[in-house]
Amino acid sequence: MHRGAPRLSATAGTVPAVSLRRVTKRFPETRLDDEVVAVDELDLDVTDGEFFALLGPSGCGKTTTLRMVAGFEFPTEGSVHIHGTEMGRRPPDRRPVNTVFQSYALFPHMTVAENVAFGLRMRDVARDEARRRVAEAIELVQLRGRDGAMPGDLSGGQQQRVALARALVNRPKVLLLDEPLGALDLRLREAMQVELKQLQALLGITFVHVTHDQEEALAMSDRLAVMDAGRLVQVGTPAEVYERPRTRFVAEFLGDANLLTAEAVDAERVRLPDGTVVRIASGRSAGAAVHLSLRPEQLDLVAAGTPVEPHLDAVEGTVARIGYFGSAIEYDVALDTGGPEVLVTARLGNARGVVARTVGERVRMRWTPDSVTVLED
Amino acid sequence: MVGVAPAPAPARRRGPRPPAPPGPEREAARAAARRGALIGLPPLVTMVLLFAVPLGIVAVYSVATRGRTGRTELADWNLDAYARLLEPLVLEIAGRSLGYAALTTLLCLAIGYPFAYWLTTRRPGVRAVLLVLVMLPFWSNFLVRTYAWRVLLGSDGPIVTALAAVGLGEVRLLFTPFAVVLGLVYGYLPFMVLPLYSSLERLDLRLVEAARDLGATGWEAFRRVTWPLSRPGVVAGSVLVFIPSFGAYVTPELLGGSRTTLVGSFVVRQFLSARDWPFGSALSMAILVVMLAATVAYFRAQERRS
Amino acid sequence: MSTVTGTGSTARGAGRRGARREPEAVRPQGRAARLLTGHGWLTFAFLYLPILVLVALSFNDNRFVGVWGGATLRWYRELGSEPAIFDALRNSLVVALVSTVLATALGTAAAISLDRFRWRGRRAFDGLLFLPVIVPDVTLAVMLLLLFVQVLDLLAAVLGVRATFGLGTITLSHVAFNVAFVAVVVRARLARLDPRLEEAAADLYAGPWRTFRHVTLPLIAPGVAGGALLALTLSLDDVVVTSFVAGPGSTTLPVYVFGLIRRGVTPLINAVSVLMLAGSMLLVVVSLALQGRRGGGAVRAAVPGRT
Repeated sequence: MHRGAPRLSATAGTVPAVSLRRVTKRFPETRLDDEVVAVDELDLDVTDGEFFALLGPSGCGKTTTLRMVAGFEFPTEGSVHIHGTEMGRRPPDRRPVNTVFQSYALFPHMTVAENVAFGLRMRDVARDEARRRVAEAIELVQLRGRDGAMPGDLSGGQQQRVALARALVNRPKVLLLDEPLGALDLRLREAMQVELKQLQALLGITFVHVTHDQEEALAMSDRLAVMDAGRLVQVGTPAEVYERPRTRFVAEFLGDANLLTAEAVDAERVRLPDGTVVRIASGRSAGAAVHLSLRPEQLDLVAAGTPVEPHLDAVEGTVARIGYFGSAIEYDVALDTGGPEVLVTARLGNARGVVARTVGERVRMRWTPDSVTVLED
Repeated sequence: MVGVAPAPAPARRRGPRPPAPPGPEREAARAAARRGALIGLPPLVTMVLLFAVPLGIVAVYSVATRGRTGRTELADWNLDAYARLLEPLVLEIAGRSLGYAALTTLLCLAIGYPFAYWLTTRRPGVRAVLLVLVMLPFWSNFLVRTYAWRVLLGSDGPIVTALAAVGLGEVRLLFTPFAVVLGLVYGYLPFMVLPLYSSLERLDLRLVEAARDLGATGWEAFRRVTWPLSRPGVVAGSVLVFIPSFGAYVTPELLGGSRTTLVGSFVVRQFLSARDWPFGSALSMAILVVMLAATVAYFRAQERRS
Repeated sequence: MSTVTGTGSTARGAGRRGARREPEAVRPQGRAARLLTGHGWLTFAFLYLPILVLVALSFNDNRFVGVWGGATLRWYRELGSEPAIFDALRNSLVVALVSTVLATALGTAAAISLDRFRWRGRRAFDGLLFLPVIVPDVTLAVMLLLLFVQVLDLLAAVLGVRATFGLGTITLSHVAFNVAFVAVVVRARLARLDPRLEEAAADLYAGPWRTFRHVTLPLIAPGVAGGALLALTLSLDDVVVTSFVAGPGSTTLPVYVFGLIRRGVTPLINAVSVLMLAGSMLLVVVSLALQGRRGGGAVRAAVPGRT
């Protein structure tokens, strides 16, 4: 993968806030007397000042990656650099980064203020200055008045804010967030997404945010990296990665995707399973199998037989299933393959004027050729 | 969303690149190991000097010779002391010790299990108080608790006096096997109850509810859910009772007689009165081996079952 | 319809944060419940009656223990004229305090190095620490007796130092069996401590020592206190090991009392026993009171089953 490896080099002239060079981490698997590769030859640059998300399913190595940046784990091979300095085996207490832990890891025997002050105390910041900065940080996360509370008496959302204040008060160059919103309920999570994003913009600190929630990553990050099985699959802005997934894994993991196998007719056209020939942006040599991704929301449904305008492509099929989601309606349409069933899903906004379809109805699905992405695998 | 063809397996990534430079992991792990060993060193040295070395010395003494005056001669190495372990008297004492310890363990389990179970069914507030009441004997002076039975069972103690008063005549309770087992059960019951309580308390009652929901009677639910899940407590409690019961010294000395000698007293006698240190050492080694074997076998058996 | 008893408590329990629901319905009902309750109170009676009788008899104004002769404090007063008891008590306290401090420090270090680090020799050390749990008192007594005989001989022969059996050998012996017990108790506590808290401290610039001092130690304190309480209790309980390694004039209280008891039951021993009992219970009650709000951390921490 390394040759076409996704490597977005940092903005010219500036040193990346975090860079990983060929980092591999293996853990011994004691029961099987074997090793597990958690992170596999990872190369990654995080630009100074950006909100960077590491996205992937659980067990993909994203948390291990973050822990190697924080200094809780050390790479088996390769190196970690923060602002150009190689970290080597420098312990966490001597790294210019701070972490917001997944379950917050607030010290249960200290008050909110003591928790927030901990880092300053360890660095022997003068008492007056420490007091002022703690007050500022508590203010920043809107917890004024809760200074004396114990973590156990706070709600999940408040604990999350304390964890944030405790890290930010130290003015780290890079803030590492390990699934910080994972334990919150949906509504709170959405509010915190906005708040975190605003904080990051306000403070200008580099955020490296680990999450398995694709919506969170898309909504919050400037750039994101998708990881799978210890490897980086794709790096880019949310729009790039969502709209042009490189692999089947990325297409499926980020949002919903119709994955179709087609046969290349020539460099610009492929034949779908039902025999329809449609256009693609860039193709393969004739006869090769090509895997396509089509986002459901980029498909339109019209009555069967509706003429197809020249700038669109279309297939016909039968509505097999309808899913009603309030703001949207999903139609699973079975293509006329004559063989095994191939379903393509279209998601239509539930706007005024959209014609409702019924199961069994013949429909035509249409799209613009540039919404078809050819996958590498 | 239905994808059609399975994606081809991701290509093995073995490019022409040279191997990546080794990371700091090994160095960091080594430094951590050094720190761990450094912290562990003082207690390790203590345990070696006060436990491992003495064990070696006992092994040496067990093959030494008893001189005429009772002094042990560290010469003329022999296995006579071990041969004497097979004498009828020794076997009788060992058998009795095993029997008493097994009986004590069973009785503690029989009394302790329903008791611990009952404790977990009390209301939380009451339970906390009752738990303290169970722990107090655990923390109380063992010698004194045993002495209390000597007072109670004695020939002029309240029980014998009361029995005589209701016309049951002179009953001898003290210095009998009954007194010894009673004393052992009394002494070690808290060691059984507390682990049992803690495994029963942790038990997720929704599992019992699920069993009842699936048609089990109360008894079946207990037999198939509660009991198997509380087994770690049973194992821990049994080991904690069996081991000190087998090696008991204070209890049989205070409540037993010459016909209830257990290995503990027998070993002490070799050192304090008979002055036969090699034999006493061989006995100690044998006890240790039996304890080790019993514990390991017990844990293994329980592991297999669960 | 005797099924739904105690619903009031169910409702209360559910309302409190973190309290577990009490599903009464799956508990034994009717006769089984009554049998269990009866057995429960009988067991409590079994645990406490002997102690209560002993306490009562210690106030009995009669040389013959079995015959009640009215209440008196006479035996307690007579204890005052037994200097040997006070010497033994002083010895016991010295040995218990010193050995507890040593064993607690060593046991805590052992627990930390075993639970938090991977190093060569760790497994062997772990095994060595398991031994004291299964070695009966008498065997340990023999081991330590022979050790000190050899060591004292060696000291005399090599250095010409004439050391004797006494408080020193007793204290070391108590350390020998207590280190392992402290380690077990502290380790149980450490195992339940979220390692992320220590990572968080390191992330916030605390080095290893300050992480231990400000985060680890305060959070395992109940375990350490529990280990210390256990060590203190075991030290004050020990008869067998101490009687093997004691020297002339270094008798501890349990060994002294054990000697008295062997000779028979007297009102005087009753009084000493009750005082010893009161002492050990006082220790627990004080620990409970000190940590009352945390549910008696130390007392519960050291109890088997929580380990």
